[in-house]
Amino acid sequence: MKDAGLSVEMRPKMVGSRVKRTEDPRLLSGTGQYVDDLHPAEMVHVAIVRSDQPHALIRDIRADAALDVPGLIGVYDFTDLEGEVSPAIPSSRMRNYYATPIWPLARGKVRFVGEAVVAVVATSRYAAEDAAGLIEIDYDPLPFASDPADAACHDAPLLHEEAGTNVIISREFQHGDIDEILHTAPVVVKGRFRMTRKSASAMECRSYLAQWDKRSRAITFHTSSNIPGIVRDVLSSSLGLPGHRLRVIAPEVGGSFGGKGSLYAEEILVCALARKLERPVKYVSDRLEELSSCSQAFDEWMDAQLAVDEQGHFLGLKADVIGDIGAYSIYPWTGALEPVQVISFMPGPYRVEHYHGRVRGVLTPKPATGPYRGVGRPSSTFAMERLVDMAARKLGMDPAEIRRRNLIRDEEFPYRTAPGIIWDKSAFQECLAAACDGADYTAMRAWQEEARAQGRWVGIGFASYAELTGIGSRIAVAPGMPINTGTETSTIRIDSTGAITADFGIASHGQGLETTLAQVVADELGCAFEDVRVRQGDSEVAPQSTGTYASRSAVLAGGAATKSSRVLKAKVLRAAAMLLDVSEEDLEANGGVIRSRSSNAVLTFREVADAVYNRMGAIPHDKREDLVSTETYDPYLGTACSSTHLCMVEVDLQTFGVTIHRYFVAEDCGRIINPMIVDGQVHGAVAQGVGAALLEEIHYGTDGQLQTGSFVDYLLPLASNMPDIGIAHVEAELPNNLGGFRGMGEGGTIGAPAAIANAISDALSPLGVEIETLPATPDRLFRLVTAKTQEISSQEGNKK
Amino acid sequence: MKPAPFAYVAATSVQHAIEALAAAGGDGKIIAGGQSLMPMLNFRLVRPSVLVDINRIPGLDRIEDTGKMLRIGALVRHRLTASDPLIAHHVPVLHEAMNHVAHHTVRNRGTFCGSLCHADPAAEMPMMALLLDAVVEITGPAGTRHLPVREFLVASLTTDLAPDELVTAVEIAKPAPGTGWGFAEFARRHGDYALACVAALVESRDGAACNVRIAAMGIGDTALRLSAAEAALEGSGFSDEEITRAVSALRDEIEPMSDLSGSADYRRHLAGELARNVLGEAWRRAAPEVPA
Ligand SMILES: Cc1cc2nc3c(=O)[nH]c(=O)nc-3n(C[C@H](O)[C@H](O)[C@H](O)COP(=O)(O)OP(=O)(O)OC[C@H]3O[C@@H](n4cnc5c(N)ncnc54)[C@H](O)[C@@H]3O)c2cc1C
Repeated sequence: MKDAGLSVEMRPKMVGSRVKRTEDPRLLSGTGQYVDDLHPAEMVHVAIVRSDQPHALIRDIRADAALDVPGLIGVYDFTDLEGEVSPAIPSSRMRNYYATPIWPLARGKVRFVGEAVVAVVATSRYAAEDAAGLIEIDYDPLPFASDPADAACHDAPLLHEEAGTNVIISREFQHGDIDEILHTAPVVVKGRFRMTRKSASAMECRSYLAQWDKRSRAITFHTSSNIPGIVRDVLSSSLGLPGHRLRVIAPEVGGSFGGKGSLYAEEILVCALARKLERPVKYVSDRLEELSSCSQAFDEWMDAQLAVDEQGHFLGLKADVIGDIGAYSIYPWTGALEPVQVISFMPGPYRVEHYHGRVRGVLTPKPATGPYRGVGRPSSTFAMERLVDMAARKLGMDPAEIRRRNLIRDEEFPYRTAPGIIWDKSAFQECLAAACDGADYTAMRAWQEEARAQGRWVGIGFASYAELTGIGSRIAVAPGMPINTGTETSTIRIDSTGAITADFGIASHGQGLETTLAQVVADELGCAFEDVRVRQGDSEVAPQSTGTYASRSAVLAGGAATKSSRVLKAKVLRAAAMLLDVSEEDLEANGGVIRSRSSNAVLTFREVADAVYNRMGAIPHDKREDLVSTETYDPYLGTACSSTHLCMVEVDLQTFGVTIHRYFVAEDCGRIINPMIVDGQVHGAVAQGVGAALLEEIHYGTDGQLQTGSFVDYLLPLASNMPDIGIAHVEAELPNNLGGFRGMGEGGTIGAPAAIANAISDALSPLGVEIETLPATPDRLFRLVTAKTQEISSQEGNKK
Repeated sequence: MKPAPFAYVAATSVQHAIEALAAAGGDGKIIAGGQSLMPMLNFRLVRPSVLVDINRIPGLDRIEDTGKMLRIGALVRHRLTASDPLIAHHVPVLHEAMNHVAHHTVRNRGTFCGSLCHADPAAEMPMMALLLDAVVEITGPAGTRHLPVREFLVASLTTDLAPDELVTAVEIAKPAPGTGWGFAEFARRHGDYALACVAALVESRDGAACNVRIAAMGIGDTALRLSAAEAALEGSGFSDEEITRAVSALRDEIEPMSDLSGSADYRRHLAGELARNVLGEAWRRAAPEVPA
């Protein structure tokens, strides 16, 4: 104990240190255990026959030929599960909303290409697929509208007749008189912005394994989910099993990015089949299934206008958004999650008094949209930040300056935005300044001038944004959703061997939460970091939890860890005080050692545990307490995480390919638990944003067929697409929650598309090209530039 | 994503492989590196009854200098072609092209001959074979025949190969010493199939271009030799105007398709721009003393 001489306050803390991730030795050496690594005896495999029709009635299913395939166990359609499961209903208190029921298999009608229709069970996946290939389904095709604007028309064919419309979500925010402002403002800029559809594309495809235990009539369900608690709760009602007969475990999960943050029909299916067959049933989706039936992202059309005065002050904003939410409203978030956030966050981190935002979420024959890192804000930030740059260009004002004039200032916090979001004090202005300093904005502009003089297309782009993270019970994560997303629980236990186990309901899927939460526990409890084992992702270790999403785990689980550590520490010190015969106030704990300040006597945590549990009489019998504590944390409100991204790109004059020369992120995530992990989150999220900005796009043809069914056509960013990323961490004022943390796992994905779109527009500004659609592919840029050059030359022709 | 059932034969000699193919009665498939075949099997786009694995056949894994020719055996992996000193020395344009083929994991397995047999219109190897007027060595029940690659490549994903034949090697004539070369391609990500690719060879005889060879891919149903552009430059001095004329000949001569990664207009533009760079580069190498 080299620090033993220092007082506790002076000793280095775990929170704030660059601790190496404790998950990594097992993950990097191939000893991690994912769902597909589990092989219980007697296990059978499912292959799924999926719809090749966008909208059709199922007339007949013929499976005769399949029945001869060796190894086949059975072929099941919806009629085989009738009465055995009830559907999941993604309900909401929103007005004008229709909750589409989610069944394990299509019931009489299919609504998108890729919808599960028939489950084929066999002793191997090969046999299951052989049999699946022999099943014939006759469809009566129905008319459909693939484009959300068409689907929103009153005479459009309906995907869910019961809803009476395809527009199952509509919402409006109104503050002030925007039409008057737009009419009288000196400067108005507008655009029709389009954020195309994406796939979260986690490396591990969705994987499920359900085991039926005949003795206890219980299911243990392993799922590659980041919301195992929500899955447990909904399966409990869908299958009619109480929580103690339904354990849901998210073991090692190979990424989610939002795609594994909802309930899937296949999860109900696999559990229902396991119970029916009384055998372990496994389903692992392949990449084609992942691209055609995992939740998708964004797909919004955003008509937006910004009114500005001559000094560049924002006067008002108007946005009319259509979100293509696919064929179902996703459970539990509903189809409102993504599009409604677009209008609730559109004003961004700026002072915008007059605002009118309207959104419609429209059903189309595509997989449901759902959570995707950044939710809503990658789109809203793209639209807003583009408008900000367009306004600056019109005024001849530097884009940094116009942001400086409009970002909410220190004295204005807490600030209530027009749609009603409250920003607590965060480093809005400071991040802008830090990005300019860190990236050397002045030098970047000089470099750009030089490049421009050589005829090159080089541009610089900003994106400033804020997100609401670590949301407590005051605000539903998705509008009107009847699930409690505002609390998290932790149980910390020191057992009779002195081992410390910290249990959480959250479900890490790559974030390193086992490490960061152990850092928090070590500091708060005073134990050694190495002695803490974090368990998470298992519905059995917490009474209720909703999991890891929405940048909440550091704040909520970190807060729960803090609370239960403090309660447990008091118990440990009470016991130690009795053992050492000193007062509790005289004791301090650090690194697993409890020390009396007055006598210098020491006891280890293990010795205290031994005395409490194993040595009868060491502690007076009426004073003995188990060394366990369970506490729940509710931050009530949320906290703002703010950031500015700054980048420089070049568009190749010949190929229209985009190269990112420089990338810088300044962000305020409050107190940093582990700088290495925070940097990693920023890098990964920026990479994801680069994908959205330049490469990724899910395509559906007008025939309703998916055209991007593999990674040959759906392009993810590679290492060679990534620039070096500079990062500055700015800490303005710690937020008013336990621990002072702000959520930061999503931010990069929010800033990068906007910053890159702005930089490309700046590069092409001599031609007057403005980016309105992402990704900015070489083909799109070629067409934009060609159109502008033709426009310019015909204007010059007219002059002559 | 699991292949349909198939029988598997690990051939130990070329003869063995031919017999296995013949026994399959037209329903057999050779597997070399598997880098194109495995995805097609997994998607069940091809369902051969027998897979004939040639990876254990000795002697096919070399690049040999036969005097006028370099002979690339059927099991020469992209990794070897990319790093082989004979190729780098005699056919630098191929050496350069190989840097653009896929990624290391794919290069460690994929074969030059397998790529020719697969005949993907966006692959580098068929195009480079066309540029270099390569000759394909084909072995079947009736013995060995040699076919110019122009005749070997029939259409997209289609070759002249009979179901019981296999390619045992491809032969490339060494370009004359001093031949200038250029290669350029553009892909959205490094290692992807290109949106367009152009390569050229040219010799200079006293400042006049001869033996102009231009090939391209990504802009049509198959890899192409661009004869109109070649003709436009044969005998020229590769001046800027002459190159520009050749580029517009090229743009007229191709019929690119529109797909998810690029419109026909974009590809036509791109092919022209790449050609402009490549031709200038080739000429600078062919006639370094003549200022371009
Ligand atoms: C991720 C990825 C990226 C790639 N990127 C590129 C790229 O950028 N450029 C590029 O050119 N290629 C690329 N490829 C394809 C790669 O180069 C393949 O390896 C190559 O096209 C086929 O060679 P193979 O040896 O793997 O052939 P296989 O996959 O084994 O076979 C391909 C076909 O040729 C037949 N065949 C193979 N060898 C013979 C033979 N000797 N005689 C008769 N028939 C034969 C097979 O029956 C099959 O029909 C990529 C592949 C992958 C997986």
